[in-house]
Amino acid sequence: MAEETVSAKFEVYRYDPATDAAPRYQEYTLDLAPHTPVLTALLRIRAEVDPTLTLRYSCRSAICGSCAMRVNSKSRLACETQVGPELARNGRIVVEPMRNQPVLRDLVVDQEPFWRQYDAIDPHLILDPRHPMPEGKETAMTPAQVERFHETPRCIACAACFSACPAVEADVGFPGPMALAKLYRFVVDPRDTATQDRLLRIQPAGLWTCLRCHLCTEACPKDVRPSERIRDLKEMAIRAQGATENGSRHAVGFKENIRERGLLQESKLVRQTSGVAGLVSQLGQGVRIYRKKPEVLKSPHRIEGLDEVEKIYAALDREEDTS
Amino acid sequence: MKLAYYPGCVAQESGKELDMATRWVCRALGIELVEFPNFSCCGSGFVDEANEVLNVALNARNLAIAERAGLDLLTICSTCQGMLSLANLRLTDPKVKARVDGALKPIGIEYRGTTKVKHLLRVLVEDVGLPAIRAKVRRPLSGLKVGAFYGCHLLRPGDEMNWESPEEPRSFEELLDALGATPVYYRGRVMCCGFPIQFVKPEVASRIAGRQIDDAKTHGADAMATPCPLCHISLDAYQNQAAKAVGHSLDMPVFHLPQVVGLALGASPEELGLARHLVPTESALGKIGTKAPA
Repeated sequence: MAEETVSAKFEVYRYDPATDAAPRYQEYTLDLAPHTPVLTALLRIRAEVDPTLTLRYSCRSAICGSCAMRVNSKSRLACETQVGPELARNGRIVVEPMRNQPVLRDLVVDQEPFWRQYDAIDPHLILDPRHPMPEGKETAMTPAQVERFHETPRCIACAACFSACPAVEADVGFPGPMALAKLYRFVVDPRDTATQDRLLRIQPAGLWTCLRCHLCTEACPKDVRPSERIRDLKEMAIRAQGATENGSRHAVGFKENIRERGLLQESKLVRQTSGVAGLVSQLGQGVRIYRKKPEVLKSPHRIEGLDEVEKIYAALDREEDTS
Repeated sequence: MKLAYYPGCVAQESGKELDMATRWVCRALGIELVEFPNFSCCGSGFVDEANEVLNVALNARNLAIAERAGLDLLTICSTCQGMLSLANLRLTDPKVKARVDGALKPIGIEYRGTTKVKHLLRVLVEDVGLPAIRAKVRRPLSGLKVGAFYGCHLLRPGDEMNWESPEEPRSFEELLDALGATPVYYRGRVMCCGFPIQFVKPEVASRIAGRQIDDAKTHGADAMATPCPLCHISLDAYQNQAAKAVGHSLDMPVFHLPQVVGLALGASPEELGLARHLVPTESALGKIGTKAPA
């Protein structure tokens, strides 16, 4: 029985920086079964319509991570994105290269920024040379120790998270979700001996630029959930070193701030995060806001039952409880 | 309909206009707001970063207050919605639950896990319903192009927030359509506003906010509207910084969700606290034939 097909309209990003003044979008229309992967469709375009279309792919099975690109503006693997649902939600299929990495040609990007950030976190076990692994023996981990990083080894380094991340987009120095998720994996690995050093280095290296917007977790084809592992890293970094950066001062300051009244004291938080110098630098903006919203300088009322809140802090915010 | 009203910190403080507009709209739609002077802050994502279990416990206390009263909880902030929903979810982990119970039981609080947390946007679309809202429109927002800006924690992580598509949400646009406005679709509507790092890396935060506002503008929006007062701070109170970051003026009025609903239902700009915005709303109000308060 012949399979039912749909007419699928593609708009594909075309750009060769060596010869083109600007990118353009080229249209192709193909009759395809709805379950056809976008990658298969692109390969058919290249084989039958336009041999100059440039893209990167390998396994076609969502294992190698090579074919990450933007399909209808979402960063994802082309090989596991079917044309039917994309047509249903957008009426057409717009295919573009990933963001946050320079385009080499058409759908192929230069992944150097992504791999540079990955290299910077030392993505390998660091062992103590004074205590080498015992000859001929494995270093066993308990199931509970392995469970702590069961998600991160699923990462196939496709860079979809890096492409989706607004912090990477706005700050080239930000390590990005994948590098931070990998860092987490080594920090919680009981065999690694550089945990403290890793946490110490990552705080000023951009840990606190993460916006916890969860766009990476949404983009990840392997459910690595980078944003949640970055949260874990933040808590571990505070525990290891205290509040040493604006970001950790803000988190710890916020926690202490709401303990006093049960509600946030807005202007006090700015002082807790940025110190007096920071407060002075924000003075102009503060005055602008105060003119329209004078409450910004007032302390909120104390909530009823503040003693209950205090007892929850006393029970759960002790040093030994934050492990 | 009767709900436990969880206004969150900002709507009780610098974002008071959100509280004013919420009360006006709920009165107009017959939603009874029950107030609890013992609700504490949701932790806003920051307490979660400093101490995850403490954050869950503080919110379990909030959820228990509503549970004891037999009411679902109404939030008016994407971040409050995210944090309170997340507490419900994390309490399904027996290890977390045991530690939280251990802190709550000695102070006589028990949370059984039955409180539903609903954002005003969801209550309007699902419980009140668009036909009922449409029937109450007195001042259609015809000719006003509005870019909805959802706020991360209302949508993501999608499998945890468990509502509409985190990539292609439609509820806010459908609501805007019911109010007579023209919804504007743009990439930035599901992106981040930059607020979480406003005081940590202000220049990066401003670039992020600027990009989203610019995106809405490029797609023809006369105004933006957000269900999150923290996004409102980034998009409105710090819009001057965002404009500096993108290198040109933005002049984008930004409404809170209940302000656009209130305008369509006939509230005056004064009743909705529009004079409290940093970016004047005149240009948008002019399009629907009303005037901004002095």
